Amino acid sequence: MIDQRVSKFNSYFDRQISLCQQRNKELLEDDRVDEATFEKIKANVYDIFRTILSVAVKTSKNDPEEIRQAFALKAKQIPLNWSISYEKAKQNDDAVKMKIEQIKLDTIHEIKEAFAQIWEGEK
Amino acid sequence: MTETEAIRLFKCLSDKSRLQILKSLVIEDMYVERLAERLGISAPTVSFHLKKLTEAGAVTSYKSQYYMMYSLRKEIFETSILEILQEKSDESEVQAQRDAEYRQKVIDAFFEYGKLKSIPAQKKKERIVLEVIAEAFEFDRIYSEREVNILIADFYDDFCTIRRDMISERLLDRDGTKYWRAQPKCREK
Repeated sequence: MIDQRVSKFNSYFDRQISLCQQRNKELLEDDRVDEATFEKIKANVYDIFRTILSVAVKTSKNDPEEIRQAFALKAKQIPLNWSISYEKAKQNDDAVKMKIEQIKLDTIHEIKEAFAQIWEGEK
Repeated sequence: MTETEAIRLFKCLSDKSRLQILKSLVIEDMYVERLAERLGISAPTVSFHLKKLTEAGAVTSYKSQYYMMYSLRKEIFETSILEILQEKSDESEVQAQRDAEYRQKVIDAFFEYGKLKSIPAQKKKERIVLEVIAEAFEFDRIYSEREVNILIADFYDDFCTIRRDMISERLLDRDGTKYWRAQPKCREK
């Protein structure tokens, strides 16, 4: 059961990364370089959390609760700095930085939702 | 328009979304949400592009009631490409511009919203960072050590290191517990 959830979550990451790569390519072809970069940023966030999942699986000795806790902890810790950067950018009216931090925060929000759905749904 | 300004503008224009924003602004001044609706892109993405267009000098903004309105800087677009190409670039001016760009790059890398992120390891970069901090000090004024620390602490928590480095770089001079901003070489008494 645990393998099924891990592999389902990994497939989710693979799918999202491949979607981002596809959109990046399309946007580059459409001469929208910065928006193409936004897709790269999203893909990086998915990639970071795919790595976190694999580390959680390895260190948790197949205990599903430990995996859930380890992943949830990182998903809470890592975006803290992004939130701080976003708030700083907002205070300084820095729309460029705000947009970049918002992409990262939106992506982790989506990952957390997918994780809850896959992990809880497959119990 | 200088070469650097022209390059910054051309780089900024080589993006379809930004060109579409400018095409909308040719018609009339608009606010972010209106542009977002018109172009089918999100408001934060429009703000992102507008910030870049503003920095490149292509767009300007003003407040109108509750809205921040954006308008095209028509005078920039009235400059012909031929005029830009005919602009003479003096070598010393180009060098000064390069130096200024390098300095700005270092400042952008090491400062975030006026706060120093870390002390550069490279001497040349540290000098630039210290020069920025030195600007917080007035010439011809004596500061106590406490005042020096407070001024530096606005930039960086480790004010002792910065204070010591500013002395060794001769940006600040001291006599016992009194400090003052050192005059640059060209302003020497």
